[in-house]
Amino acid sequence: MRFLFCLCVAFGLKVGFAQNKQVLYGLEEVPQSLLLNPGVKVPQKMHFGIPFLSHIHLNAGASGISTYDIFGNTGEDINDKIERKIFEMKPTDFFTATQQWELLNFGWRSKRDVYFSGGVYQEFDFISYFPKDLAILAWEGNANYLGYEFDLGELSTRGDLLTVYHFGANKQLTNKLTLGIRAKVYSSILSVSSTHNQGTFVTTEGGDNGNNIYQHTIRNADVMVQTSGIVSLEDNFSAGELIGRSMLGGNLGIGLDIGATYDINSRWTATASVLDVGTIFHANSVESYHAYGDYTLEGIELIFPPLNEGQGTLPYYDNLEEELEQEIPIDTLNSSYSEMRPVKMNASLQYRFGKRSGGGQECDCRNKGGAVEREQVVGLQYFSVFRPKGPQMAGTLFYQRRLFRFLSAKATYTIDSYSSSNIGLGVVGDLGKFNFYVAADNIQRYGNLAKAKSVSLQLGFNIKFHEN
Amino acid sequence: MKKNLLVPILGVLLCLWMASCVKDTDFDQAENITLTPVVELDLIYFDLEAADFYNDETNTPRLTVSDTTEIRFLDDTEIQESLKKAEFLFVFTNSIPRSFQADFQFLDVANETTYATSTTVAEGSPENAVLSEFTETVEGNDILALTQADKVVVSLTLPSSDANLEGSLNLKSKTTYYLEIKERN
Repeated sequence: MRFLFCLCVAFGLKVGFAQNKQVLYGLEEVPQSLLLNPGVKVPQKMHFGIPFLSHIHLNAGASGISTYDIFGNTGEDINDKIERKIFEMKPTDFFTATQQWELLNFGWRSKRDVYFSGGVYQEFDFISYFPKDLAILAWEGNANYLGYEFDLGELSTRGDLLTVYHFGANKQLTNKLTLGIRAKVYSSILSVSSTHNQGTFVTTEGGDNGNNIYQHTIRNADVMVQTSGIVSLEDNFSAGELIGRSMLGGNLGIGLDIGATYDINSRWTATASVLDVGTIFHANSVESYHAYGDYTLEGIELIFPPLNEGQGTLPYYDNLEEELEQEIPIDTLNSSYSEMRPVKMNASLQYRFGKRSGGGQECDCRNKGGAVEREQVVGLQYFSVFRPKGPQMAGTLFYQRRLFRFLSAKATYTIDSYSSSNIGLGVVGDLGKFNFYVAADNIQRYGNLAKAKSVSLQLGFNIKFHEN
Repeated sequence: MKKNLLVPILGVLLCLWMASCVKDTDFDQAENITLTPVVELDLIYFDLEAADFYNDETNTPRLTVSDTTEIRFLDDTEIQESLKKAEFLFVFTNSIPRSFQADFQFLDVANETTYATSTTVAEGSPENAVLSEFTETVEGNDILALTQADKVVVSLTLPSSDANLEGSLNLKSKTTYYLEIKERN
C-alpha cells in the first residue's frame, strides 16, 4: 500500500525529466541501452528480456514545484502557499509523467557481425505547461487586472498512450566506429493534445466611447484540442478494444532512431543518438475542437420595446449566447491529423582510466586505436527532448566503475529544468547469464519524495549470452 | 556465491524504494483549498430618448417603461454555492428635465420577485446632463434571495411627460462578484 501510495504521489505531483535516462545511457552491460543509443557497443552475442520484466520505467516531475511546496506540514495556510507558487512559477514551468513497460526485447549477433535487436514496449507520456495567466484569473478573478491581457496561448498540454514495435541493427564498422539504426512502428491507443493556442482575454474600462462600464474582449482566439482514440472509447470501452489498438489496431505511425559510438583513442569515446524521429497519423476515432475569433462583451443592451399587456420582451440573453457562438464558434472536426513524436537527443564524451577490465585482451596489436575497457569511466552527457514550447535540456556528469567482475555501478549528477542537484545511481549485474539493472535519480530525495521535483526509476531483467 | 549476493543487493534497492516515502506532508490540507476570485462583469446598459416616454400614436405619456432580460448564470448551482457578495453599480446620465424612479426587480423562474432595489435618478437638462450613481451591495441572507433569480426587470418611472420633452437617459452598469470556491460536502 505504502509503495503504491508513494508511486501515486510521485506520479500525481512531481515532475522531472520525464524522458531522460541519464543513468542508463551508455551503460552497455544493459541490453536496453540499445534503445537509448542504437549505436552503443554491444558486448553480448545474444540476449532476451524476461517478458514483461525487462524494462520498467517510471518518471514524474514538475519544474518549479514539489509536493512539499504545497502539502508540506509547515503550519502555513495552504491557500497562501498556492498563491505564492502561482506567482512564482513561470508559464514555461511544466508537469510531466512518463511510463514505459517493455513486453518483449530480444537481440542476436548475426554471422556478419551485425547485432539485430527488436521488441515491443508500451509508453505513456504526458506534459502540461503551467497556464499561469489562467491560473491567476481563476485564483484572483479579473478585478485587480483591468487592462491586463490574459494569455490563452499558455494553455499547452499533450498526452499519449501508445505501443511501440521496433527493430534495429547495430554494427561495429571499424575499430573506432559503431553505428546503429532502429525502425519503429507506433500504435497509438489514446492521444490528446492542445499545443498551438493563442489569444488574449482582457477587461478594459469602456470610457466615454464604450457602451458600458467595461469591455470584456477575447482577441485573436485560436484554441484547438485534438483527440484520437477517445470518442470511440466512450461508446465502446473494453480491455479488448484497448489491447486491439495496442496491437497495431490503433492509429499508426513510423519513426527512426539512429546512434553512433566513436572511439577517439584508447581512453576517449564520444557517442550520440537521435531518437523517435517520427510521426503518428491519427485517422481513426479522431475528434478535435477548434474555437477561434474575436468578441467584445459589454453586457446586455435593453431597448425597452413598447409592449402590450402579456407580451414577452426580446430574448436578450439567448441573442447574446447566439452572438457569442457566432463570433467565437467551437467547431468539432473529424479530419485526420499527424503529430510528431517528441524527438530526443543524447550525446556523451567519456574518459576511461584505472585497471583494464572487460575482454582482457593482452595486447592492443589487433585493436589499433580502438578503445580499451578500463575499470573506471568519467564523462559528460547531454540530453534534450523537443516539447511543445521548445527543447528541454539536461547536462550530466557521470562516474562509472566496475566494482566486481559481475557488477558495475554508475553515479550521475544532473542539471536540468527541475533542479541543479539531481544525483542518480544505477547498478547492473551479470550473474552468469542473468542480467539485472536498476537505476534511479534524485536518490538524495528518496528519504522524502515530497521534496523532490522529479523522480525517475528504471529496472529490468534479461538473459544474456556471451561469445565464449 | 554470486547468487547469494543478488538477493541482498535487490533487497537493499527494494527497501530503498519502499522506504522512500513522503514525509512532513498533510494531504488533508486539500480540503481547505479555497479560490476567492473577484470578478468584474458588465450587467446591462441602455440609451433612452425623451421621446420613448411619450406615445405619439395615442398622444399619451408613457410614465413607466420597463424591460426584462434573463441573466441565467445567476441561479446556477455553482453561483448559488459560491457567491459571497455582489456589488452592483448603476451609473445614470440624465439630460431629460425630469427625475426618474428606477426599479430593479429580480425574478425567479416562476416570475416571483426574489430581490428588489430602487433608486432615484436626478433631473438633468438637454444642455447639462447629470450623473447619478447608485451602488447596491448584496451579502449574507440576501445572497440566497438574489441567486434564486434568473432575470431582472428594469422599470423607469417619471412624474410627467409630453411630446416636447427633450434629452436622453443613459444607463451603464456592472456587478462585482465576490466568489468563494471550495470543496463542499
